[in-house]
Amino acid sequence: MSSDNKALYARISRRETHSPRSLLAIVLAVVLIIVFAWVGTEVVIALLGLPALLVAPSDMFASALGLAEQPAGIVAAAGIVAAVIGLVLIILSLSPGRRARHVIDTERAATVVDNEVIASALARHASYAGNVDPDNTTVSVSHRRAVVDLTPTSGIPANRDDVTEAVTAQLDAYGLRPTVRARVQIAEKAKVGA
Amino acid sequence: MNSTNRAANRLLIFVCGLLLLVVGAAAAAAVLVPFVRDAWKDTSGQVTDQVASWLEQTQLSGLGVSWILIAVVALLVIAIIALIVFISRQGRGHTGIALTDPTSEHGSTVIESSVAEHALKDALDAHSEFVGSHVSTYKVRRTPVLKVSVTCRRGVSPKDAAAIVESKLHALDELLGRELPALIQISGGFRARVTKTTRLQ
Repeated sequence: MSSDNKALYARISRRETHSPRSLLAIVLAVVLIIVFAWVGTEVVIALLGLPALLVAPSDMFASALGLAEQPAGIVAAAGIVAAVIGLVLIILSLSPGRRARHVIDTERAATVVDNEVIASALARHASYAGNVDPDNTTVSVSHRRAVVDLTPTSGIPANRDDVTEAVTAQLDAYGLRPTVRARVQIAEKAKVGA
Repeated sequence: MNSTNRAANRLLIFVCGLLLLVVGAAAAAAVLVPFVRDAWKDTSGQVTDQVASWLEQTQLSGLGVSWILIAVVALLVIAIIALIVFISRQGRGHTGIALTDPTSEHGSTVIESSVAEHALKDALDAHSEFVGSHVSTYKVRRTPVLKVSVTCRRGVSPKDAAAIVESKLHALDELLGRELPALIQISGGFRARVTKTTRLQ
């Protein structure tokens, strides 16, 4: 892999593991377009001296300035709701927006894997190592942690160390970035005939 | 992979959020805080007079309307056009050309990306580890990059999946005589969940 490609792959990997926030941006842009189009239409209609569609621009202006005379409860509630939505938008615009994906080190290409795929591969190996039916194995993979939940079959004990070893060996073999640590939980109560 | 301007997306969200926060907080403060309420009432009269006088002074002769209002309409139209351009710029960046050889004395060679896409897709569909595959080509920093996305069957090791796709990419390199940068995307999803578990170990 040339150094030229390395920078390219770093950029691609970063973009594939983070959300572009496109959906939210498009929704906001559409809302803005509708509001701008409506206000513009009202202004033109007022300039032509025709009756307003919903609210005349002069009334919009007057009621915005006369906010303090309006019923306090409604204005306060609406203001607080707007402020909270604004705060959420600011947080969304600044937070990294990580997707549920990991980067795998490969030599020929940049590779990204959904956490779901990692979890299902770990579940297969964990159920095999723990002597448990695959349907009684649950794995959830997050940014830095994989939690393996096993419900053993009654009468057949599952060895925790074996499962941990198998899962850790798999995780090491994948070479995920960032690295994921496994935690194995074996249910105290087993299931009959599972 | 696509050329979406993510900074612009975030900037738009941030500006909208800041606007909502400031307007909402100002409205709530205007009715809840007595001090702000009095100040608001004092200034609102002045602002009304000021704006009314501006509209008076800027009347266009013959029409009887202020040019400020016309300018406001023009600004709104410009903003709407800018937002439509902004929306249409999302998710672009596909390219139809994978390789362009510089012109030699015998002519120039252009390889369309569909050559690489079809070759990879055919090779990947033969593998039972994958439920489906999709290959597309994007331009990243003026370089065509292949995007190979595969949907794995349940339980397939991501390392094995990556190794299979990489071997196909190496075969493609042989075929083209040139290495195309590539992204491998290994995903699960609904189709993977409802299909049979892999029998490979």
